[in-house]
Amino acid sequence: MNFLKNWHVRRSPSARDSLGDLFRFKYSAFRMLLDSNTQLLKVIADMEEKLCGRQVFGISYVRTQAGRAIFHALRMVKNLDDLSNHRYPRLFEALEKIDRKIQEEMGPRKESPPAELILTYDEITKEMADWVGGKNANLGEIHGRLRLPVPEGFAITTRGFTRFLSHNGLFEKITTKKMEIDPCSPETIAESSREIQQLITSAEVPSDLDTAIRSAYDRIRQRMHRTEKAEDLPRISLRSSATGEDAELSSAGQYLSVLNVTPDQLISTYKRVVASLYTAPAVAYRLNKGIRDEDIAMSVACLAMVESVASGVIYTHHPFDFLDDNIMITAVWGLGPYAVEGRITPDSYTVDRRSLNAIVRTVISHKPVQLVNLPEGGLQELSVKPEMQDTACLSPQQIGTLAGYALALETHYKHAQDIEWALDREGRLLILQSRPLHVQSPETDIGSIPAVSGYPLLIKEGAVAYPGIGCGPAFQVHSEEDLKNFPEGAVLVAKHSSPMLVMAMKKARAILTDVGSVAGHMASLAREFAVPAILDTRIATATIPTGMEITVDSFSGIVYQGTVPELLSLQKTAESPMKETPVYEVLRKVADFIAPLTFTDPKASNFAPEFCQTLHDIGRLVHELSYTEMFQIGDSASGNESFAVKLKAAIPLDLCIIDLGGGIAPGKEKLKSIKMEDISSAPFRALLRGLTHEGFRSSQPRPINLSGFVSVVMEQVSGHPQTVDRFGERSFAVVSDNYLNFSSRVGYHYSALDSYCGPTIDMNYISFSFKGGAADSVRRNRRVRAIALVLKELDFAVDVQGDLVSARLQKYECDLIMERLDLVGRLLLYTRQMDMLMQDEGYVRAMAKNFLSGNYSLDRNG
Amino acid sequence: MERIRLLLVDDEDDFRTTLASRLRKRDFDVTEVDSGYRALTSIRTAAIDVAVIDVRMRGMDGLETLREIRRIDTLIEVIMLTGHASVESAVEGMRLGAFDYLMKPCDINELVAKIQDAYQRKLVQEASLK
Repeated sequence: MNFLKNWHVRRSPSARDSLGDLFRFKYSAFRMLLDSNTQLLKVIADMEEKLCGRQVFGISYVRTQAGRAIFHALRMVKNLDDLSNHRYPRLFEALEKIDRKIQEEMGPRKESPPAELILTYDEITKEMADWVGGKNANLGEIHGRLRLPVPEGFAITTRGFTRFLSHNGLFEKITTKKMEIDPCSPETIAESSREIQQLITSAEVPSDLDTAIRSAYDRIRQRMHRTEKAEDLPRISLRSSATGEDAELSSAGQYLSVLNVTPDQLISTYKRVVASLYTAPAVAYRLNKGIRDEDIAMSVACLAMVESVASGVIYTHHPFDFLDDNIMITAVWGLGPYAVEGRITPDSYTVDRRSLNAIVRTVISHKPVQLVNLPEGGLQELSVKPEMQDTACLSPQQIGTLAGYALALETHYKHAQDIEWALDREGRLLILQSRPLHVQSPETDIGSIPAVSGYPLLIKEGAVAYPGIGCGPAFQVHSEEDLKNFPEGAVLVAKHSSPMLVMAMKKARAILTDVGSVAGHMASLAREFAVPAILDTRIATATIPTGMEITVDSFSGIVYQGTVPELLSLQKTAESPMKETPVYEVLRKVADFIAPLTFTDPKASNFAPEFCQTLHDIGRLVHELSYTEMFQIGDSASGNESFAVKLKAAIPLDLCIIDLGGGIAPGKEKLKSIKMEDISSAPFRALLRGLTHEGFRSSQPRPINLSGFVSVVMEQVSGHPQTVDRFGERSFAVVSDNYLNFSSRVGYHYSALDSYCGPTIDMNYISFSFKGGAADSVRRNRRVRAIALVLKELDFAVDVQGDLVSARLQKYECDLIMERLDLVGRLLLYTRQMDMLMQDEGYVRAMAKNFLSGNYSLDRNG
Repeated sequence: MERIRLLLVDDEDDFRTTLASRLRKRDFDVTEVDSGYRALTSIRTAAIDVAVIDVRMRGMDGLETLREIRRIDTLIEVIMLTGHASVESAVEGMRLGAFDYLMKPCDINELVAKIQDAYQRKLVQEASLK
């Protein structure tokens, strides 16, 4: 596809249109851009959370979120294009490049399924889960790569499934039946699923598939050295091994598995297992999850039935005690189902993973019955011989062997495992299945770690960006210099979350900020670097000084003073149930082009379209550029006063207002001039509060310093072009209910301010710049440095170049933004003509200090 | 503010009727139809400000519907609603000028806010043509 072609072209206002229309058009584009920025960050935050692997999701989740991410990135780029009059065409190219990569990972599966209807476990690895389902893929992996014993067997692949369904025209028939389903009516679901299952079980297995299954069975028989005599023929267990997003249903036992199947029942049982894909719970599940039937398929594991003497389950970790990492083995006599179905209490053996021969605990239970294979197929419950009923099913040696297998599986899959095993008549221990064990770690239930007593609680609430435990000395970061000096192993404490903090993330044990959003850029980075982080604590910098030893528990959003040894053991977090699954792998690959932020410094030379590697980069760049574009909107207002409304107020400004909608009280928009109380724009009202602050009402003349005055005269004579141009122009406020773009020329300086403050924290910001002055360049520079000192104290990110100061504050709550706008209003008045006074360096700090202490006189001595 | 004239297009009857009644309670002037074809008829015969269209429908799907709407009326703002997004449909929707792309089921407040934003956008577009 080509983003540059075939757009539905919106008409942007032309020169003939009024400037008001142009502003409205640009403002509308800007708002859409900000909205999409918020949405994109939400998608990214959500993806990163899923990448932690603790939540289960399907492939449709990946498609949906990738689609949304692209949509919003594209919407941002398109709106910047509108806003900037097509100034950044290369952004489209950058986005198209990233989109192509995502499509490659996401699009129709690149790998064509194998031509084989049947695969043996020698041929299967875990990467083939899409063709043979998770259960088969794991068995292949265990057999081929881990070399652990598994039963003889083969997989009927998804190609076999497709062959079976298409041979009977079942895809179409199933679709038709499914159209009769009303998602809100369980009756229609039950009825349709029953009919679909009926269609499948009564369909004919095509001869090529039938032959393939029978030949595969015969090969097993030969490998097992069994004759063709009926009593010698191996029995088979047929286990469902669904692919794709239904893998979790498969492991949850929703699909059918049939044990002890005789060869003559193989084909009919295969059909029953396939049909279980359409049980009512499975159909309802897919409907609710938005999973398409096209994305699922049923592969079947056909395993030689083990004549189990004993069987059971192994957990390589305690399933709900996060701190207990002993290996737990359960065992019953006979076949496995009784070990899990609760029919009898199994023996249990607890093994120390650090010394596999050390059996920590043995509980031998009373086992009066067992499940066994029937000669004619099927299963039967039999009594256990009395002398065996209270005897251990496993010897210490067998327990050690099983624990060794379990640990090998866990190490291989890098995740706690839930394993089914069986002991056959020859005394061999076999692995029947291994799947991720969902350990109920504290992460799944944030806030579940009770507060540890005996340590002062420094912080009790905040927004958790990444859960975990981190401990070390606090180190407050207020500048780039602090970041450079950030010590290894410290806890980073900052007022505001900023992507710049990435510079210290590898060294940081945890991050705490006063303010910040979990959907923000920095939160993404914290997740990427797996650094426990609590944002929006409000009080971190005020409460935790540099050097204080602290323990951060971001499972619960708590910070303790001192080291809390009870929590340190949790620093090693459990791996996730989703990791290593095929769906997870797709997400990981797709997210690589969406979530990482490689741009952290807007001042860097590579902050440009051609260096965008991810959608996050594109979003960040477009976001930044959009401010520049909006910032300049005030410039276009100058000289076009005719449609503007004048403000009548006691402020030393000739101020015109252009309302984009909702900025002026209803009924007052048509007036030639309005009063302060007619303003309904929240940010503008806040700024005006500052501009009319009582501290500036005295009629006392501003103090004048003689050399400063001379400096002004000299500058006038030399005719500094910039200041002369600016002098005497009107000030403009382009406003809406939540938006303000303010540009003002007071005396010889120029200040511009752009702000949005609404209910969405992520969209709120103030951009401010101040330039020029009447005095010489040294004094002008001193003045902007004094302004910079004040703005830094007010939490702005500030940059000074010559006589220009640029500052940005973003992602704070509306109330705080308005409070800061009030202060910026006061600062604008306070710094009028201040340049003339700045005769030595001492004034820089003195003037800033005066302002911050609420003393608005320009008297250096207060 | 004038009542926003909304067209709701979805072939899932339960979902559509429930959503329509909730939107009517919020004072939208809602027309509901169950197919892309009927959506086109509505647009030809009645004034519509914003259309909310399900992407996946039997017969003419949401994107085709959007494409056809664009032939008739370039000013209607369209919000795509879908339970099954894909990169392709997102890009195509954006290319065809969809205003936004929401996931089903969506939060009613979020949808209402989007409809209002879309309506504002339409007013801006109309103003620029005057």
